[in-house]
Amino acid sequence: MTELADMQQSVARDPRDRGGPRQPLLSVRGLVKHFPVGKNLFGRSRNVVRAVDDVDFELLKGETLGIVGESGCGKSTTARLLMNLIEPDAGEIIFDGEVVGHDISLRDYRRQVQMVFQDSYASLNPRLTIEDSIAFAPRVHGVSRREAVGRAHDLLARVGLEPHRFAGRYPHELSGGQRQRVNIARALALEPRLVILDEAVSALDKSVEAQVLNLLLDLKDAFGLTYIFISHDLNVVRFISDRVMVMYLGKVAEIGDAESVFAQPQHPYSAALLASMPAMDPDARTEQAPLYGDPPNPIDPPPGCRFHTRCRFADPVCSQTVPSLTPAGETQQVACLMRQYGSGHSCIGLEGRA
Amino acid sequence: MAVGALDNKNVIAPIQVSDGYWKGVLRRLMRDPVTMGALIVILLLVLMAIFAPYLAPADPFKSSMLRRLRPIGTPGFPLGADELGRDMLSRLIFGARLSLFMGVTPVLMAFVIGSGLGIFAGYVGGALNTAIMRTIDVFYAFPSVLLAVALSGALGAGIFNALVSLTIVFIPPITRVAESVTTQVRNRDYVEAARASGASGLTIVRVHVLGNVLSPIFVYATSLVSVSMILASGLSFLGLGVRPPEPEWGLMLNTLRTAIYVNPLVAALPGVMIFITSISFNMFSDGLRSAMDVRA
Amino acid sequence: MTGTAAPIIDIRDLTVTFIGGRKPVHAVNGVTLAIQPAEVLALLGESGSGKSVTLRSLLGLHPPGRTSIGGSIQVAGKDVMALSGRALADFRGKTVSMIFQEPLLALDPVYTVGAQIAETIQRHEAVSRVKARARALALLQKVRIPSPERRLDAFPHEMSGGMRQRAMIALALACNPQILLADEPTTALDATVQIQILLLLRELQRELGLTVILVTHDIGVAVEVADRVAVMYAGRIVETGPVREIIRNPRHPYTQGLLASRAHGAMTGSRLDAIPGSPPDLADLPPGCSFAPRCKHAKATCVETAPEIRSVTADHWMRCMLDAEAAE
Repeated sequence: MTELADMQQSVARDPRDRGGPRQPLLSVRGLVKHFPVGKNLFGRSRNVVRAVDDVDFELLKGETLGIVGESGCGKSTTARLLMNLIEPDAGEIIFDGEVVGHDISLRDYRRQVQMVFQDSYASLNPRLTIEDSIAFAPRVHGVSRREAVGRAHDLLARVGLEPHRFAGRYPHELSGGQRQRVNIARALALEPRLVILDEAVSALDKSVEAQVLNLLLDLKDAFGLTYIFISHDLNVVRFISDRVMVMYLGKVAEIGDAESVFAQPQHPYSAALLASMPAMDPDARTEQAPLYGDPPNPIDPPPGCRFHTRCRFADPVCSQTVPSLTPAGETQQVACLMRQYGSGHSCIGLEGRA
Repeated sequence: MAVGALDNKNVIAPIQVSDGYWKGVLRRLMRDPVTMGALIVILLLVLMAIFAPYLAPADPFKSSMLRRLRPIGTPGFPLGADELGRDMLSRLIFGARLSLFMGVTPVLMAFVIGSGLGIFAGYVGGALNTAIMRTIDVFYAFPSVLLAVALSGALGAGIFNALVSLTIVFIPPITRVAESVTTQVRNRDYVEAARASGASGLTIVRVHVLGNVLSPIFVYATSLVSVSMILASGLSFLGLGVRPPEPEWGLMLNTLRTAIYVNPLVAALPGVMIFITSISFNMFSDGLRSAMDVRA
Repeated sequence: MTGTAAPIIDIRDLTVTFIGGRKPVHAVNGVTLAIQPAEVLALLGESGSGKSVTLRSLLGLHPPGRTSIGGSIQVAGKDVMALSGRALADFRGKTVSMIFQEPLLALDPVYTVGAQIAETIQRHEAVSRVKARARALALLQKVRIPSPERRLDAFPHEMSGGMRQRAMIALALACNPQILLADEPTTALDATVQIQILLLLRELQRELGLTVILVTHDIGVAVEVADRVAVMYAGRIVETGPVREIIRNPRHPYTQGLLASRAHGAMTGSRLDAIPGSPPDLADLPPGCSFAPRCKHAKATCVETAPEIRSVTADHWMRCMLDAEAAE
């Protein structure tokens, strides 16, 4: 944590900082996004996908928050909501003490928050040279062409691509790892304070993935960045994150210090997810699957606790009461009725065995 | 690594510029003999149309009752004579002018209008998209031949009216293609990234959308040139497009149809020209499509 | 490589080159591999390592016009490259069958799962429709699909990802093949579903005595199911051995690098020990060891000549010039 404190101090030295090192860089309150599906003849939809349903969390300055979960858990929708690429149905985003769209304009907010996508090819315009792709955002914000191109060359050097070799090339002439470096450079072109990495290394080969992870660590130190790192790969998330948020069907199941969540998961789902990771020891292979079946469809999610249909600790009360995030352990918060005193769950007091 | 190489590290090396997109397209086109062949045929046809007065051995309008329907190879009439005794070769050469014009112009106009409409609908999305696309669908529901004939019939015969009706026929398919490729591009991550950097809609369309949608729409449009030529010929054939005695391949086919039993080879010649031109455009369009695929 | 019994799969010096593009692409460059009956082998490698291409060669799936294949493949006593027509069709499905990464693409969307399985059985064996359907039901039970009677009449798109993968395994097992080829069978699945499918594969392998070749890029997946691992790089097997040996005592610098660069178990905040550079262009392979440009132990000889296979222990082989000790 001292390392994080150092990082917070250095991030707070940024002239754009407002609230000091202790104020969260991002506070998300009651974020909701429902997508209508299957429109009828009159354009009214019958069903909604509850992609993100009442999500609250805070992002500290200088930290890396990992978001994990399976398909349909809402992690990518959360990223797009944070980038304001889609409009939330409800909830607010507070950036360094200022409500986005209220105290701070969307345009000013977007300058400080950037994103790297999973598909390195689809996220670069095939008709633009690498240099033009990186220079695009500064140009939009009124930087002269000369200066924007200069900045693009600096950034290319920073992400390990020699500018004189790569600046004039087109995306299809680069390997996947090189393209992802370009995407990272592009995200940094506006000098953001927060970078959202949505499965940014998932499509890369393992040997290249390690290089890009190292690069991300270096850039974070060099530019005083804060990361949100979304991935389905728990090993990678454990390696890079300071804190971890586990999502299930549009809700936060658990959030806390990465090491404690990985060592002692408090939510039965987090525990099952971790136990599902393939063992790296041929003599200690997994003998029983922690969960049976697939994650349910986020259309029409189960009532009460959304995990109760697959949870081995489920009680009748779990299908009626929606658990709220309550502190558990030293650094964790968990949404489970077993951790909520007075919830009526029969396993209260047996916690820690999940 | 030599010492000298280390010293040179601080010298700013010139930026290596890779081949531009169009250079690459051209390189791939040059390697494709079929497409190049088609392109050469098209260029020859265009040259033939431009220099028709110099190339044609005789006056395409000069008729002679004595020389009607001469077979191919008659001295002075290398490709025979038509039903009014006019030199076929000269008429075919001059016919390229109107035929190509009728093939290309409506497609070009429809390309401009249709892409504009389609890109707008595709990028804006939502209710406006639905309104535009459903209107287009109404036109799309008619078979193109029927639509062209009906429109020409309503507007009256004549070259200009034929052009207008053909343009209207081609707007719906081009708009559809434009809308669908724009919708695809709009959902690409690089467009999202551009939005995330705070760029305005107009800038995004200019920088990120146009470059990526115009070429597929253009490729599609080139494949319509042959259809347009055939439709234009059809209109002329029905007496709705070009009027006699103007030389135009479709019209020539029409007027020669009575001679089909007397001198079938001569009667088929305009059809051969239409066939060669349309297949060249189609082959060129196919080749262009694969040459424009960056990842090929 | 020194098998006790006759190997069921015997690949000798397999080369696969894709022609027809601008330059020939050398996807597989001399793979020699022998697999014993009821053995589970994992072909481990990154994209472009030739692992899937090797697997597809076993079924004769490469279009002859655009590929040139060298070497020999013997599967269950048959020369795969000599098979064609009816014999090849019988071989596929009855002797060897395959499951893919994306079941939605491998299953036919317009037929129910039950109909597809029954149809496959009837194509290979002379059984009645009723009997074929009964066997399809038994197969769905075998892959542990809940309420199999109902699923028999379900279309692929009506099932979840994990159920579809189970259905595809049932389809692959329809004609009791001896050999199951699995091409990244769990890559598209969620973590909690992946482990279920891996466990299912392991159980079915034991129960039916299947010989399995599993292609994967994920070492963890290989550790969960494989007896033996073959690590591929640039179209060659660079190291092969029992899974324990490969994990605990990797000898080839590439295998070592792959294991060292994993985020698994690495300290948070520390840097990963990444392999520099990127895999070679298969259309333009270096003359010597293809890993030499990225290898931190590479010497001048590595760049010049391709290394031969050498043994570490009786069943642990690798393709590297460096002395086994020096490579550590």
